[in-house]
Amino acid sequence: MRILIIEDEPDLLASLAQALREEGYAVDTADNGNDGLFNAEGTDYDAIVLDVMLPGLDGWEILKRLRKTKKSPVLMLTARDQTRDRVKGLDTGADDYVVKPFDLEEVFARLRAIIRRSANKTTNLIEIGDVKIDTAARNIFLKDKAVEITAREYALVEFLALHRGEVVTRTQLYEHLFDENESSLSNLLDVHVSNVRKKLGAEFIATRRGHGYCIE
Amino acid sequence: MKIFNSIKWRLQLWYGLILVVVLAGFGFTAYQLEYGRQMRRIDGELHLRFGMLANALHESMPRPPNRPRFGSPPDNQWPEDRPPRHNPPPQKFVLPDWAARFFDATNRYGYYYVISRDEHELDRSTNAPVEDHDRFARNPNYINAPPTLPRNEPPVEYNGEPVTDADLKNQRFAAGQPGSAWQRGDFREIVTDLPSGEWVVIGKNITPELMELHRIGLELTLIGGIILLLGLAGGGWLVSRAIKPINEISATAVKISAGDLSQRINVAEAESELGQLAAVLNSTFARLETAFAQQKQFASDAAHELRTPVTVMLTQTQTALNRERDAESYKQTVEACQRAAQRMRRLIESLLELARFDAGQEVLKRMHFDFSKTLSDSIEMVQALADERNVKIISEISPLEITGDAERLAQVVTNLLTNALQYNRPGGEVCVKLNVQNGLAVLEVADTGQGIAPENLARVFERFYRADSSRTGAGNAGLGLSICQAIIEAHGGSIAVTSQPGSGTTFTVRLPVA
Repeated sequence: MRILIIEDEPDLLASLAQALREEGYAVDTADNGNDGLFNAEGTDYDAIVLDVMLPGLDGWEILKRLRKTKKSPVLMLTARDQTRDRVKGLDTGADDYVVKPFDLEEVFARLRAIIRRSANKTTNLIEIGDVKIDTAARNIFLKDKAVEITAREYALVEFLALHRGEVVTRTQLYEHLFDENESSLSNLLDVHVSNVRKKLGAEFIATRRGHGYCIE
Repeated sequence: MKIFNSIKWRLQLWYGLILVVVLAGFGFTAYQLEYGRQMRRIDGELHLRFGMLANALHESMPRPPNRPRFGSPPDNQWPEDRPPRHNPPPQKFVLPDWAARFFDATNRYGYYYVISRDEHELDRSTNAPVEDHDRFARNPNYINAPPTLPRNEPPVEYNGEPVTDADLKNQRFAAGQPGSAWQRGDFREIVTDLPSGEWVVIGKNITPELMELHRIGLELTLIGGIILLLGLAGGGWLVSRAIKPINEISATAVKISAGDLSQRINVAEAESELGQLAAVLNSTFARLETAFAQQKQFASDAAHELRTPVTVMLTQTQTALNRERDAESYKQTVEACQRAAQRMRRLIESLLELARFDAGQEVLKRMHFDFSKTLSDSIEMVQALADERNVKIISEISPLEITGDAERLAQVVTNLLTNALQYNRPGGEVCVKLNVQNGLAVLEVADTGQGIAPENLARVFERFYRADSSRTGAGNAGLGLSICQAIIEAHGGSIAVTSQPGSGTTFTVRLPVA
């Protein structure tokens, strides 16, 4: 899952990015409105965390322009908790909002929720054959037994599971699993796929030659 | 509310009283005029009859042998020959028929007496009231009756000409002059003293006239009553109309005091006194609403400014505590938290400072000090920032000593200089001027930055207002210029700003020297 954070307060931006990376997300950051909009329009993010008060373009303006081209779910961070501000955000196209000051747990939960909704899932539990994925706890069970899995491997499984039945290209996977700062070594993805197959069964992820990967 | 404390009812009461007095005055006057008119008419009629009677008597009266017939004395001896009052015997008049018709029983209203000099009744019409004729002499208290019968003095003037003895001798006034009229009960009478010595009383029963007057009186009272009622109703309507805006004002005020500050009085007649009052109240309400909105905005902005550093501290600490970290990450977290806490401290200090100025609790030290030195010290202090941003500071400072709080004024100067540097372009200039104009110390700080759009210029001193509508750095909460303004105004000075969008902004501070 790849997330963009647009926030101008450097300390807040740094800690949010760190916390989300530790949650297994690939995180890009922008500290002003113009860069934020540029990034958001250039990549299909799984979610965007957007502050309202920004130098350059403000959050509402970014949202308005972004919605012309992208459907990425947006979580607004707002310091104003007046109803009209929240209504304005939601009406402009935000999927949810968090009022500052917030708890990280809440931000995580709301991010999971908007990502889940954008994939048309209603629960945190995805079942594929013998494999169960708990997207809230970020755990994977094989025949009701927890499987030891790295954050990056989990992210790979979750992304494929959320796009079950679709062929996901390698480019897409790179885009959604790695942030802009990571050197996308071409074989890194193959390593993750092979590790997941070892843990969950060789046929869990099917390879479509010349296209990509797929969970049936 | 007691009913008589209500303005409406008091107005009604006074209005009603005045109306009653005016109507009563009119009614009384109208009645009096009508009464006088009737009486003059009756008197005229009586005079007419007197004329007829006098002529009839003149013609028909038998003549005593030793006495000239009045009206045509045979010789010039008449005045001397005038007989004494008691002397002649009672005589009888005989009225000719044509005259008697005016006084017979079929004519209920006219009557006459003729009384001799010795107060015997010589004649009376058949319809004369039964009272004795000598009631005049015997009953002086008789209603409206003169105590004695009037004596006709010989006239001294007739038709505007003096009366001569010859006239008297020629008996030009044989028929006599009708006397004055009076009224007793239902009767109106004229008593005339004939030159021949008799009294003639012509009277009339005026009951119909009195009844007519009575009816007119009743009519006047009735009309007056109707007018009073109409007047009261109209007055009530007028008063209600006049009071209505007051009720509207009161209703609006009630809503406003209940907390709905957006309410306004509907000003229908802006020119009337109440319209003007409503306009004044409306502008007061508008100012109140603005003040309340500003207060609310201030509290909201202050909370907003505090939210960001609190958020930083929460996310930093929660991230750090999520798992075990090395010493370096903990240090970074603590440093970030410290920055956030410092930012909150600065914000709180600024807020408290403003609150003290607002409450008038900020005590300024009053001392004589070298303001030009304060200025050069401040310039020296911000020189590092100027070098960092590659901005040149040009100063034209005249030596100047003023009285005030040196520390506070240094704060203002530093703030203005820092702003001028921060909002400047690289390679720009900041021009600082200090001199005396019109007895005021004038400090100008001009930058060569982007300038401020005219529509935002008035707002730069507003609390939490930032010209670029976003944070430009931690600790800049948009309170600096508000505090500068508070300090300058507490010194009795003023601060103003002018700006050319694209070429720069100039802040001008004017301070009293002493």
